[in-house]
Amino acid sequence: MRPLIILIGLVIAVLLVATGVKRLFRMGMQQGYAPAQPIAFSHKLHAGDNKIPCLYCHYGARTSRHAGIPSSSVCMNCHGLLEKQTVEIEQFKEAAQLDRPLVAWTKVHNLPDFVYFNHSRHVLSRAPEFPSGVPCQSCHGPVETMARIEQVTELTMGWCLTCHREHAGVPTNTLERAAKRFSERPKPATGLDCASCHY
Amino acid sequence: MSDHCKGAKNELVTLGGRRAPEYWKTLEHRDHGPPSRGEFPGGLPAPGRDDRDDRDGDTTRRDFLTLMGFGAAAASVAACRAPEQKAVPIPVASDEMVPGVPNFYATTCGGCASACSLVVKQRDGRPIKIEGNELSTLFGGATCATGQATVLSLYDEGRLRGPLWKGEPAPWHVVDDQIAEGLAAVRAKQGKVVLVSPTIASPSFRSVVDRWRKAFPGFRHVVYDAISASALRAATAQAFGHAVVPHYAFDRARVIVSIDADFLGTWLSPVEFARQYARGRSAEQPASLHIQFEPTLSVTGGNADQRVPVAPSQLGAVAAALLSRIARRAGESGLASPPDPIDAAVLDGVAGELWQHRGDSLVVTGCNDTAIQLVVHTINRLLGNIGKTVDIDRPSLQRQGDDADFAKLVGEMQAGEIQAVILHGVNPGYDYSDAAGFLAGLAKVDKVGLSISTADRRDETAAAVQAVCPDHHFLESWGDAEPVVGYLSLTQPVIAPLFDTRAAVESLMGWIGEPTTHYALLREFWRSDVMPRVQDARDFDMFWDKTLERGVLELAEVGKVAMPDAPTGGDWRAALTAIQGDTLRAGGEHFELAMYESVAMRDGKNANNPWLLELPDPVTGVTWGNVALIAPSLAGKLGIRDGDVVALGAPGGTVELPIFTQPGQHPRTVSVALGHGRKQAGKAANGVGANVFSLVPSVRGARRLWTDVTVTVTGRREKIADTQRHFSMEGRPIVLETTRAELARGGEKPETQANLWNERLHGDRSWGMTIDLNACTGCSACVVACQAENNVPVIGKDQVQRSRIMHWLRLDHYYGGSEDDPSSVHQPMMCQHCLHAPCETVCPVLATTTSSEGLNQQVYNRCIGTRYCANNCPYKVRRFNWYNYTDNPRFDYNMANPVGRLVLNPDVTVRSRGVMEKCSLCVQRIHAVKNASAKSGEPIKDGQIKTACQQVCPTDAIVFGDLNDTHSRAHQLMHGERAYKVLDDLGTRPNVAYLKKVRHGQAT
Repeated sequence: MRPLIILIGLVIAVLLVATGVKRLFRMGMQQGYAPAQPIAFSHKLHAGDNKIPCLYCHYGARTSRHAGIPSSSVCMNCHGLLEKQTVEIEQFKEAAQLDRPLVAWTKVHNLPDFVYFNHSRHVLSRAPEFPSGVPCQSCHGPVETMARIEQVTELTMGWCLTCHREHAGVPTNTLERAAKRFSERPKPATGLDCASCHY
Repeated sequence: MSDHCKGAKNELVTLGGRRAPEYWKTLEHRDHGPPSRGEFPGGLPAPGRDDRDDRDGDTTRRDFLTLMGFGAAAASVAACRAPEQKAVPIPVASDEMVPGVPNFYATTCGGCASACSLVVKQRDGRPIKIEGNELSTLFGGATCATGQATVLSLYDEGRLRGPLWKGEPAPWHVVDDQIAEGLAAVRAKQGKVVLVSPTIASPSFRSVVDRWRKAFPGFRHVVYDAISASALRAATAQAFGHAVVPHYAFDRARVIVSIDADFLGTWLSPVEFARQYARGRSAEQPASLHIQFEPTLSVTGGNADQRVPVAPSQLGAVAAALLSRIARRAGESGLASPPDPIDAAVLDGVAGELWQHRGDSLVVTGCNDTAIQLVVHTINRLLGNIGKTVDIDRPSLQRQGDDADFAKLVGEMQAGEIQAVILHGVNPGYDYSDAAGFLAGLAKVDKVGLSISTADRRDETAAAVQAVCPDHHFLESWGDAEPVVGYLSLTQPVIAPLFDTRAAVESLMGWIGEPTTHYALLREFWRSDVMPRVQDARDFDMFWDKTLERGVLELAEVGKVAMPDAPTGGDWRAALTAIQGDTLRAGGEHFELAMYESVAMRDGKNANNPWLLELPDPVTGVTWGNVALIAPSLAGKLGIRDGDVVALGAPGGTVELPIFTQPGQHPRTVSVALGHGRKQAGKAANGVGANVFSLVPSVRGARRLWTDVTVTVTGRREKIADTQRHFSMEGRPIVLETTRAELARGGEKPETQANLWNERLHGDRSWGMTIDLNACTGCSACVVACQAENNVPVIGKDQVQRSRIMHWLRLDHYYGGSEDDPSSVHQPMMCQHCLHAPCETVCPVLATTTSSEGLNQQVYNRCIGTRYCANNCPYKVRRFNWYNYTDNPRFDYNMANPVGRLVLNPDVTVRSRGVMEKCSLCVQRIHAVKNASAKSGEPIKDGQIKTACQQVCPTDAIVFGDLNDTHSRAHQLMHGERAYKVLDDLGTRPNVAYLKKVRHGQAT
């Protein structure tokens, strides 16, 4: 009887510790983060129903590190012509006219300060897997269906590396990768260097 | 030219089968070996030692454990939820500015009157990095250390937020009304108005001065330079009929003789001269011969083939002795033979070399003494150098100060003859020799009339005027410059004014009732005065846009300077006689005090700049303040050592400074750098060092930078923060040199070493760098450029004393030979990016690894701060963050305040406490070019990626490139016969190679 209790106790303890460790590893991860925004802007309406291309508003993604949040003046490109007006749209119009910042949006997709991610390098990628660049949805999820933006993916280093490893032809599974090291020396791949993102 | 190698005089040691002259960093290390070989060279840090102030308080073991437990719990709770981050978009999008994409604008440096052409990197609306404009033929892509640091002066917290009237903040219209009233009163009395400015390189500004001359009958413009070339201008007027500074061409001279002119460090236009000098002295062609006579070892002297220490009073005699030798050969008669101040054989040799290279030699002197300058002009004239290496027809406009005129003005002010004075860009209350006299005169003006300053801060002078109307920083301002006649450069704002300041030009135009904007005035001037000088310009707007984009305009033809009559050559015989009256004063208790411009601080105008304050002097290694340099032999005789405070008594007053023994120093001369000891410059500079401008005497109408002095030992000691004593060579050969003869034999090939490790597989590229020790002059521009590019923190005097200086790239200074007449080598040293890096094998958390492209990468977020890597690094280039320099109140420098932080480069992580950092070979610049190439599909061209240190280098000593590409410059230099890798015998296999210094001949 007694050994059984010890055994069960041990199993429970191991499970608890394992869960704890797993949870610790997920600490600071914001998957599922969908904060309320000061203005209820709907990507479903704009990108989904009206099929406005992502890069029309987030034009920075083509040239810059940052995709950027569109200026009020960009909103007015369409809303200056559209008839339907809301209080919020009026506010945007005023902000563009007065050249004054209107809202402080809550950032959803956050990377730590020590990570340098470049949108343009991905959006304009010439990798064979992505002949017309990496689609925005591969990291940001189905934004065109979201009324409120939510972080769908993990945005952790391991998550980034999965894609980069596939691209470099390195096994994504840890055990496979370790096994492969015995059979052949891995060829260096630039996208897997620490200094690709940390500097 | 003799092929005798100077280096061969030094004892040669054999190490690793390679010969190297015995170099040393400090005399203690040379004579007594490295100070300590223990694990803790300064002793084990323990409570109760002298680093008490380095600890935050007494913490017991229990407290420590309590805090640690609480900290761990708090950290894990806090980490459960990331803080909410806000993002505010720009209200109106701009075509030109995409957040995250830098823009580059051409402009002109306002750091000093040399007016180098610049390209400024602007990120998200703020300038963050200054680079040289490669389209400029004068300056190329280079800048100096001061120029690099001026971007930090823009974000100086100590700048005025707006105008002041009688010391109180007031709106512009109130100040303007008061000034209008004051000027009207002066006009009614037909009083005198004086504008005092430093050298004005801007032709449009000079046109504003002309308008004042017309508008105000009693107006006068006095040009006052803190460190002037007044005597040089006066001598040129005597010899050639025009008061200008000649434009020198060091690249065309085969023999260069400099009599105390630090033309590679500080004199007139050091960036331009360093470029010329390097062109004339590349290792691959017959190099020019350079002889330097000077009391204090300067950057220029360190590069000379032969350097002769001479007391300042004897510099004139050296010039006179050379002239009498050359004049005799030129057939001039009736010359007395004065006694030679130094070994006659040296003078014979130098004169012989000069005579042999008639027409392609150059003699210059930095002495602000009309007689000596006239003698030097005469030497150049007799050698036929005028029009070849000395250009009078197209002179330099970089120094226009007139010492005698300013002295006269001070007299008039004291006599109450001046009713209004406008001080623009000058600070005589600090840097005039009779500052007290000037301030007394200013008080007189205040009493009877009006005094205005356009200073950007309430400095020593601006504190005593009625109206302070702060001018923009040059990065906020429009403008233009003509450093050399026919070479124009435009200034354009790269940021909207940070504070409520106003361009001095707009202030001046407003006060004579012709209000305009600086932009309109500048365009009008260029339309009416500059465009007609350009042949193919038709449409002004097109001409303007093109010039503004390029930043520089070079006119092929310029009108000849009007010369009154045939040049007479001046009365040089009288000058010779006058010089012979200068006898050596030093003897017994008396010494001579030489005051010099240091590379970092220059005249002290940009003093409140933490980057410059912490920049080690390239010769002495001293940071944070000035010291009294004395020869080691003199220190021995007086029984004093480094840090002992002496009182220097001169006719102008007494100054107390700690001594610092300097090899190569003239044994009877004490040298002190100018530009320190500011009282009202701002938080960083106030009270650092001592001001010796007060000791500058006025001789023959010019302020002469040496004087008689007595040296009294006070018995006090003061700590000096110098980097020369940081780290030890451990007797190993670190700088290597070679001779032409050896190069002709094909150089020495390094032995191939056995390799215990698997040969590392390379990626597509392998980044590497070569540094040419023969080209490096030691100007230190790279050190500040690296600091600006990579967000390197400033840590203050106390931390520098603890060898914690953070510079990723340091400039090591090695001496060779005897301390009385040493040879010297400057070596930029940073992470060598070893393929078999000793740092990597000891890191317990793999925070430092070699990348697939050969970079040694440091991952800050992985580093846990064991410092094993720094201990194991043979090059001692890893820097540890002992504190959070961004928010610790003890480090109240640029990073710790919201204005100063605007200079930070957003492409480089700001490191926090407990993290190791080091040179990354500007990996962010590599990525910028790689990203562009990946997006466009264009391959990366060799030379397209430039590291920050490479970009600013005036002598092109640093070359970065892909070592896998056999056609790249870096690859070819690395496989040339001069290349060697530092401490290669350790098997570290660095990706950085140095090219050996080549010793040239010397005049015999």
